Amino acid sequence: MPADMEVDDIKQQLHEYITRRFKVAPGDADFTDDVHLFDYGYVDSFGAVELAEFVQDRFAVAVTQTDLMAYPMNTITEIATFVSLRKRGDL
Amino acid sequence: MATMTVDLDQNTNDAVAQIRYALTFLSEDVVSYDIDEVEQKIHIDLRPGADIEEMEARVDRLLRRYSNPEFGMKSVVALDQRRELPAIDAWAGMLERRWATPVGEGHVVLRGPAAQLLALVDHKVQTMFVKEFHAELEIFPSTIKSETLHRCNHFTSFPEHVDFVAHLRQDLDVLSGFADACRTGGWTPALHDGRMAANDFAVSPSCCYHAYEGMEGWTLDKPGRSITAVLACHRYEGANHTYLSRMRAFTMREVIWVGQPAYVIRSRARADELIQEWARDWELSCTFETANDMFFTDDFAVKASFQRQQEAKRELRMDVPSEQQAISVFSSNFHSNTFGKAFDIKVDGKPAASACVGWGGERWVYALISQFGFDVDKWPTGLKRDYEKFTAEESAR
Repeated sequence: MPADMEVDDIKQQLHEYITRRFKVAPGDADFTDDVHLFDYGYVDSFGAVELAEFVQDRFAVAVTQTDLMAYPMNTITEIATFVSLRKRGDL
Repeated sequence: MATMTVDLDQNTNDAVAQIRYALTFLSEDVVSYDIDEVEQKIHIDLRPGADIEEMEARVDRLLRRYSNPEFGMKSVVALDQRRELPAIDAWAGMLERRWATPVGEGHVVLRGPAAQLLALVDHKVQTMFVKEFHAELEIFPSTIKSETLHRCNHFTSFPEHVDFVAHLRQDLDVLSGFADACRTGGWTPALHDGRMAANDFAVSPSCCYHAYEGMEGWTLDKPGRSITAVLACHRYEGANHTYLSRMRAFTMREVIWVGQPAYVIRSRARADELIQEWARDWELSCTFETANDMFFTDDFAVKASFQRQQEAKRELRMDVPSEQQAISVFSSNFHSNTFGKAFDIKVDGKPAASACVGWGGERWVYALISQFGFDVDKWPTGLKRDYEKFTAEESAR
């Protein structure tokens, strides 16, 4: 699968999960792949734990404390990029 | 007296200060304690008859809170301006000069240059911050509904330090009996037993909660609004109370923003720049860095480490050379839309975001005198300039 498609697919799955789990209102124009999920209040601290667990389970990648401090994972795009690179062994 | 020694889990190394703070709330049976960071041991003295097994279990529970921070304990230092300074016993010197008088656990009266210094800090906030952000003055009550604290998630983060307010029951016999007992035998705490009403208020532990409850149900104009207020706050700190650096009653000035996330984030970032300018101008020995609240609940690991990862809290920490430690004198906090949701404050059709910056007045006084002493002529140029101008203007009034 081409890298861009893989990232897009991951983004789509993240988008659907966050919309469903954190009750994002339909048609929310601010909820883009590049919105800061925490600054804009879509996900709080406990939600972040759930989101990290979802990422690990759904995409079968490890997300360690060191990863969370080293790589920006505040937007859907950032998380999808991390997952893609980790799956390819580039991180 | 019984004693016990517990191993300090290596996974808690980043949280020794938090553990030291938390141990005082372990049990009323704890007389004193010490953490030996070299030997990685906690030594605790207990009252005679204390259940040591129970105490060990409690220590274990407490340590587990700090052993696995979900998001790591990120540390970003934006300003590191530490200086070599002599150790000055500010508290002893202030007592000797009658600039300070203790009037109860964690309660202090300030006067003379100490009071002037606190007023100067507040004046500088007005001239540097309140003007910059066009912050609107609000006047807050000193007490706050317990229900409001609950809605602010205060009880699920800091249950240990709430000072509740209570009054005598509305009952003629209770009131007369209390007054008669005081008249004949003098007041003692035992006279409260069975005579107090259920309390529904607490002394405000923080300044900004009133701002949010005061805007409940509002829809704000874009991008939002800025508020300033000063409040006498209370936090019960048990054995952690120290005069002027960890008080039960203290003065907090805040500047608060409520509105669209971009406006709130931008304003907070500007405030963070301004406080660093201030620190440089006064030549403070300090750092400005990421921090976390001392959450006193089992979810510490999630809350504190997330707060650090998101840099939701930053502190200006001033060195106190005589204590070989630094104390937080200013904090900068971002809350996302937590309070906007809790109090139905909307902007642009969505729950508003909020942030606040706060100054602990007495801590500034203590840290400044600890660093620069009692002789104004020996203070750093910027501090001396501001102090002399401020006191001259005050005298002219």
